[in-house]
Amino acid sequence: MAEISEPPKPPGETHHKFETTSKAQGPDSEFDPKTMRKSKPRLKRLVLTLSVLLSFLLGFPFLWKSVEIYRAPLPFREIDSLSSQTESSLLLFPCHFQAIFVGFESKSSINPEAIESSVLKQMVKLTSNSPQCGTCSANYTVSVVVDSSSGCVQTRNREYLSSWQCGAMGTVDFSDDEGVDEVLVDLLGGKVYSVVVVNLDNEEVRAVVGKHRHAWIVGRVSEAEAVARVAETFVKVFVNGGKEEGFIQGEFMPVGADGRIVLSFNLLNSDPQDWVYDWDFQAIDETLLAPVIEALEPVANISVESQVLYHTPKSSFSYWDDKRESYIFSIKDLPFFVNSNEWHLDTSIAAGGSDNATYIPSARECPLLLQLPNGDISKTNGFISPMWGGITVWNPKGCLKDSESQDPLKRTISRKDLQKVFEVVMGQLRQLFGLKSDHMYIGASGTSSLLPSERGFTEWELDVLSRQHTCFNLRSCSTTLGSLSRLVQSLPRMIILDEIGKQVTYSLEAANLAQSNASVGLHDASAVSSRQARSLAEDAFFHPSIMSVSYYSFEHCFAVYSLSVVFELICLVGNG
Amino acid sequence: MARLPRWTLPLFLVLLFQLLFSSGSVLRESDEEEFSEELLLRPLPDRKVLAHFHFESRAPPSLADSYGRHHHLFPKAIAQLVQKFRVKEMELSFTQGRWNYERWGGFDPISSKNAKPPGVELWAVFDVPQNQVDVYWKNLTHSLSGLFCASINFLESSTTYSAPQWSFHPSSGSLRYGTLPREAVCTENLTPWLKLLPCRDKAGLSTLMDRPSIYKGFYHSQRLHLTSGGLESGIILGQTLTVVLQPTSQRASGTSSGANLQPSWSLSSVFGRKVTTRCVLAKSSNVYLQLERGLVTELENLQKENPISGAVFMDSEELRSNPGFELSVKPDWAFKEVNSLHSKGLSVLYEYSMAKYNDSEPFDLTLTWKSPVVWSCPQAPLHASRFLMGSGNERGAIAISLISTGLKENFMGANFVEDRSKLEVDIFQVVPWYIKVYFHTLRVFVDGKPQALADVVEKMRVSPSEDKVSPGVMELLLKFPCDVESATLTLEFDKGFLHIDEYPPDANQGFDIPSAVISFPYFHESVYYLQDNSLNKAPMLSKFQDKSPVRSYTEVLLVPLTTPDFSMPYNVITITCTVFALYFGSLLNVLRRRVGEEERFLKNKAAKRGGRLPQLLSKLYAKLRGKEWESSPSSSVLSSLVNTKLILKLKRITANMKEARGKDVYPEAAEDLNLQVDVIPDVTAPSAGL
Repeated sequence: MAEISEPPKPPGETHHKFETTSKAQGPDSEFDPKTMRKSKPRLKRLVLTLSVLLSFLLGFPFLWKSVEIYRAPLPFREIDSLSSQTESSLLLFPCHFQAIFVGFESKSSINPEAIESSVLKQMVKLTSNSPQCGTCSANYTVSVVVDSSSGCVQTRNREYLSSWQCGAMGTVDFSDDEGVDEVLVDLLGGKVYSVVVVNLDNEEVRAVVGKHRHAWIVGRVSEAEAVARVAETFVKVFVNGGKEEGFIQGEFMPVGADGRIVLSFNLLNSDPQDWVYDWDFQAIDETLLAPVIEALEPVANISVESQVLYHTPKSSFSYWDDKRESYIFSIKDLPFFVNSNEWHLDTSIAAGGSDNATYIPSARECPLLLQLPNGDISKTNGFISPMWGGITVWNPKGCLKDSESQDPLKRTISRKDLQKVFEVVMGQLRQLFGLKSDHMYIGASGTSSLLPSERGFTEWELDVLSRQHTCFNLRSCSTTLGSLSRLVQSLPRMIILDEIGKQVTYSLEAANLAQSNASVGLHDASAVSSRQARSLAEDAFFHPSIMSVSYYSFEHCFAVYSLSVVFELICLVGNG
Repeated sequence: MARLPRWTLPLFLVLLFQLLFSSGSVLRESDEEEFSEELLLRPLPDRKVLAHFHFESRAPPSLADSYGRHHHLFPKAIAQLVQKFRVKEMELSFTQGRWNYERWGGFDPISSKNAKPPGVELWAVFDVPQNQVDVYWKNLTHSLSGLFCASINFLESSTTYSAPQWSFHPSSGSLRYGTLPREAVCTENLTPWLKLLPCRDKAGLSTLMDRPSIYKGFYHSQRLHLTSGGLESGIILGQTLTVVLQPTSQRASGTSSGANLQPSWSLSSVFGRKVTTRCVLAKSSNVYLQLERGLVTELENLQKENPISGAVFMDSEELRSNPGFELSVKPDWAFKEVNSLHSKGLSVLYEYSMAKYNDSEPFDLTLTWKSPVVWSCPQAPLHASRFLMGSGNERGAIAISLISTGLKENFMGANFVEDRSKLEVDIFQVVPWYIKVYFHTLRVFVDGKPQALADVVEKMRVSPSEDKVSPGVMELLLKFPCDVESATLTLEFDKGFLHIDEYPPDANQGFDIPSAVISFPYFHESVYYLQDNSLNKAPMLSKFQDKSPVRSYTEVLLVPLTTPDFSMPYNVITITCTVFALYFGSLLNVLRRRVGEEERFLKNKAAKRGGRLPQLLSKLYAKLRGKEWESSPSSSVLSSLVNTKLILKLKRITANMKEARGKDVYPEAAEDLNLQVDVIPDVTAPSAGL
């Protein structure tokens, strides 16, 4: 093209030019003084250059737009602040306590303010340096009532105090724990954690923690001793739920993202050729499980299901012990007890849940006993597997099999046996929730018995669970959101829909609401919004579209557009 | 071994039995969950063996309704599925291979209920308001997909399922039907299916399901059928596995008759296993051996040739003495079909109860043929097949051809219609949207002659496909004269275009059109067997008595569609880039090159260099051309210069001419141009020798 546009030179001139160039031998002969440009390139070239540059610059946004992907804006900063918040400052609830001292009239010096300060001092001492998430914050309020024959003396801070009738404890019979419990509910209303210390002469000191939010200490106690025990009951039992220090933290129960738990009960007949057992699950559900489910309502929405499975051998072997006349399964083999190959426990439709399996051994290994590490035989004959569920072994009575008949015996587990099995199951359930199952608290200053509730969980235990649940939910929400934000930031070519952005925002809002509710002390509200926050965060993380990382990766982009670059380079090099 | 009355039973007895059966089904309802396992074996005319496993679980109505939280036999997953998705009736089948209607029969309960189209077929009736059915269907497909490790979730898209109104199942709108013809079926689908059985494959008849032997068969269909009757009948879950296997020929001693003799087989030779224990949880655990009508007729003929009397093989004596075949195990019971319409050749069923077999004495039935027998299976009145017409990637036609099987007396008898001169046929056909069927092009040919639609079509419902939304559905009720020999339906279609994302992997293989369903509403395939205790009858036999219309499926069609070049986007990008590169390259050229100066510079260089190499090269070239070499480098440069100059001049002249003469006198300019071109050789002649 360029050749054509160039004006042709007359032939004579070319000859001449040829001659001149052939004649001239110096380095400056490279320029022909006739055709050489005399003036400097001016506006025309500038315009041309600029137009090329401009066209490129104009094209670039289009190119950029064409390879752009949609990413909804995520509140990264808020997510970061939430995770740093949950990591640094633990979720602590404000708690109020009340101590009532009855029958300390002999010491006239008794002064509620002094007792209050000493109780507080003790409590601070007992509270571990590193407070755990979901417990009470350091600013407790403790109010003390001293009920003596001369009348009641109360501390100043009465805002959280329930009305106490003076001399009400005079007629109570302390041998009947249940009765005392009921009386105290009537007296105290059961809203504030309270400990009643009744100083009775000539009686051994007994400490009982009731089914509601109160405990009582009866017996001959000195004031100092009483203060110590009261403080310990407050901190260790009401706040920490009676758990030992160093007890495994975190939630044991696999609560589904929507706060639902499915308790799946399985009766495993390891060999139906020997015997086939069934249970009357409807009766169990109505009498034993329904109250528990009702009690746990604030923590989780629980549903129950049950099935009987057959041909489900365990996957490890037991050995015969002559002395005990039974088959022993030692604790070191426990990880191999559950046979996930053959036990189709499928809680398929359920999101989260725990499996409770009751294993009936075959005639070849009956009776089957579980051995503890110290050589003793487990009393419950069962074990739990955290976050999964519990196993109970139930041996048929006598382990007798009718060898003659082809048909195996089809029997139902008797009511009494079933009751026993389900007591163990209930204990396992409590353990899965992180609570103790032996109804005893052994503290530094003495032992207190914990009154078991027929609902499986006492009110103060439920408080502990609800606080922990809130804390766990918030933590898991913040970690989920944190991983989401890390993921999104690390994959710049990931498509993020508006829906995910919305879910993240709502989840953050709910988490903040839960935190603010917790700081005010609203247990239930904060549990609800924390659950919401968690489920929204999980929804965002597991949104189906999150997997659709754009195939148009950077490498791809490079591969495609490098062609253009290469072509241009070739043109340049070829021409240059 | 009760010797049962012959076929001469009067009709009223049949009716009495029916009455008993129906009252039996009321009586058998109990509050217990029940499970039963059965296996039916049947020799097929083409030297194969049909094995039909039938497992039935029942949950009492109380479970379905009020307290459905405990199951001791019924699978929990299915009970929850029924509850959650409010399924009234559902059938899911996984099939590999095609049922051979001509050889394996088309007029009996097994072929009609258990012969299924290849791949996955799912239909479900929901107990929900009409506007929610789709939502429930979608959720159900996802659940089943997870439960059976199959891509049933693809049935979620509204392009894959349809809602037949009357031709498939009488269920007024809450039915959804979908198929996946290309779904591969293998053990990963069987294992979850077995998991629903209380004994899985650990004990009982299901231990026979040796994976290699059942998957190497000719036909394999695994089916799950559930009905939930709410308060009345609870949930009934029927699981069947139908396989057609080729027994490895066990050479018997007397092989004189050679190739005509049917291969003898045993359970262990067909499956590679024996039944050792029954599933202890099963209420009944039976193996049946069925001899079809055709086979029984042949055997009776054989019997007649022999002097020994007695033709019905009902008791052990007859069995032992019969010249046709021999059984290794004596059956516990033998049942004879009850049929008032057929005079002879009623099918026979032998029952073996698994209760008395155990590990030390396993059950292994052997059937040894003694003399060659040739028989045929009962056929449906019309044999249906479907094929494609036309060629090319643009349009084509679907043809469904129905050919009479010639068993007139058979269906004349079985037909209970008042109007006997007509044969009714239901056709249900789903076509994916990318096959754009023109329903107005429907033509019907009866015995080769075109017919007016109004004469043949009794009832018709068509819902045309909507692009990327719904498939085309055609439901037809046709009425043919009873002596019809053949009938053909044709429908023309255009092939649509899909978006590049919508093509499946391996798009060049073609696209499957699901099987059409052909049913004969007035032909029922029920078979009654005379049982001594009708109250305690086997679930499989009661299934045989269900009066449902004979149904058959046509072949799956493979339609090749135009497939794009899938690297096209990349090519487009490449071309665009090239154009861009050329544009920018030439722009840059224009900007930074001064051609005249460069040329001069180059010439200069060449003149300067003018060394040995070009000279040698030109010498060589001249020698090759057989001419003398002129050693004048300058002249060569000069001549080339002259050449370029000439061309330039020429161009200038033509340009001038164009300017001078204008456009209308163009031919003259062309003449001039020719003239000029003629001139060129003369001018360049001196240098031509180079």
